[in-house]
Amino acid sequence: MWQVYLKELLELSRDRKTLMFVILLPVLIFPVIFGLLGLVAANVTASAQAEEHKYVIINADKAPAFAGQLFYHKNFKQVSTELTEPEALRQAIRDGQFDLAVIIPADFAAGSTELAQSQWTVIYNTAPVLDLIGNYLKDLVKDYSRQLQLARLESVGVTGKQVDAILEPVQINKVSSAENRENLGEKLGGWIAYLLVPLCFMGCSYPAIDIGAGEKERGTLETLLICPISRSSLVLGKFLTVLTTGLATALITVLSFGGWGYLIGSLAGVDVVAKAMSALGFADLMLILAMLIPLTMIFASALLSLSIYARSFKEAQNYIGPMSILVFVPLALAMLPGVELNWKTALIPMTNISLCIKELVKGTIDMGILTLVIASTVVLAGVLIAFCVSWFQREKVLFR
Amino acid sequence: MIEIRQLAKAFALEKGQKLSEAELQDVRYTGRSFCSVRDVSFNCENGQVIGLLGPNGAGKTTTLRMLSTALKPDAGAILMDGKDVLRDPLLARRRIGFLSSSTGLYGRLTAFENVAYFARLHGMTEAALRQRIDELFTLLDMHSFASRRAELMSSGMKQKTAIARAVVHSPALVVLDEPTTGLDIMTTQTVLDFIRSLKMAGTPVIFSTHHLDEVSSLCDRVVVINQGISAFNGSLAAFRQLSADGDLRQAFMSVIKQESV
Repeated sequence: MWQVYLKELLELSRDRKTLMFVILLPVLIFPVIFGLLGLVAANVTASAQAEEHKYVIINADKAPAFAGQLFYHKNFKQVSTELTEPEALRQAIRDGQFDLAVIIPADFAAGSTELAQSQWTVIYNTAPVLDLIGNYLKDLVKDYSRQLQLARLESVGVTGKQVDAILEPVQINKVSSAENRENLGEKLGGWIAYLLVPLCFMGCSYPAIDIGAGEKERGTLETLLICPISRSSLVLGKFLTVLTTGLATALITVLSFGGWGYLIGSLAGVDVVAKAMSALGFADLMLILAMLIPLTMIFASALLSLSIYARSFKEAQNYIGPMSILVFVPLALAMLPGVELNWKTALIPMTNISLCIKELVKGTIDMGILTLVIASTVVLAGVLIAFCVSWFQREKVLFR
Repeated sequence: MIEIRQLAKAFALEKGQKLSEAELQDVRYTGRSFCSVRDVSFNCENGQVIGLLGPNGAGKTTTLRMLSTALKPDAGAILMDGKDVLRDPLLARRRIGFLSSSTGLYGRLTAFENVAYFARLHGMTEAALRQRIDELFTLLDMHSFASRRAELMSSGMKQKTAIARAVVHSPALVVLDEPTTGLDIMTTQTVLDFIRSLKMAGTPVIFSTHHLDEVSSLCDRVVVINQGISAFNGSLAAFRQLSADGDLRQAFMSVIKQESV
């Protein structure tokens, strides 16, 4: 078995595709892609925030203070227009003449003592996800409204702390019972599993194809079958190889992301990584990695069974391709709001591991359920390994 | 001594598998299965070379695969020096060297590593395998490409490596399935010389081939398999006598026609 294992590892280590999947992808390509994405996103946001929006204001003389605030806002530039009707203004915005129209009602009077709410209309393109114009306006209107509130209250003799007592009679002071770590875990925990589990699968898939179907395609399987070692040893040697590459991919990715995060964090003076790492204990980290072992065993045995059944490399890829999409289903289930780790979800393969990782990061894991998750995953892995071994004994599979 | 008695092997057909005209004519297709080998018997003494002849699809490869224990026969027996191979396939595998027609090598391993891997799987120690590989590489003139990866070798180099791999554990019986198919003249000669050297060393060799000149120059006995049955099993001289002028092609055709009647 160990001879098979060592030989498969030696051969895989000389394969560019495997090296790319196991080492290059997590160490270099993933961080570069994510880094570039972050850079592009930051640039897009920065340039959007620096953008100047042309606006028109109808009946500006009715609210000169507001008109002044708008005029001096760094992201707005006033232009003039003859239009006054909302529909005409909307069409002008669609035609690109300007970006925003603020319509102040003709009957609005800032200094009026009559207590009535005024309805203003703003017209702009609300489609972009980053609603910058909306945000700027919200702040401006809030400031302007506060000014009006203060003026109106002052006119009836309300000043100082009384203003707050009227405008905001109750203020809520939120104190979280959750540790910082729990918050961090809830937000990051699910994503950690979402990243690690598919990586384990990916790390297993190419080597499984190569040492299963690839062996058939190269014509080396028959010679291997007539060597004086049992087929169980043969398949276990191959299984261990696939398991190793799957775990190596996950481990290398974690180390790579940790390393890159630390580097970027220390260069940029951000201590998010340090905080995240200090929240997680060494034992928790080891438990997370330990959880991946039985899970990767499931992947390795299932993928090897499929691969050895296939007649060729291409046929194996056809089977394994759709499987890689299926992997995301139980992971997505674990990300759904309200889905929590309990005695039932502990029995759903992959979902249970994902939920467990989340709980481990949060620091709120129930050791009883953790044991059940590990036990159920190990049992499933054992069944699949037994199936893989028996699959390897069948002439119908080996000589298709 | 190797004795093969009434071997039979059938393969289940896949559901809905459609048969061609030629397959429908073949008596071996029965309902849901294909009886590749129905009744094959022959024997081989130490130092003898047996040539296995037969048309394509006659059952030669299946017979050799059963002999090498890659496939398990449905019926019959294979005895090596009186011991039942089917009862103890691991023991038989230690004593048989097999080179299949579709033999491949591990492309990313060198010639040495390919051979050494199988030597280790046969339980050879590092010192023993190094000595044996050195002997074989000298015999097959392989030292010049011992460190070259298989994916970078010519077909001749690959075949030499495959042969070295098949016999690295010094087997008591060597089984070769069409070892010269697709090879150039030089490499074919190397293979034939190697079979001759095995014969000189007293190692029995069973090989399937379509080349009658190889049979003529190397074989002591001939077995003709047709439609899964050993239609002829006898000495080379007896085989020649099947033809009026001693022509092996005519002899072969007479066996096939006789069987088809």
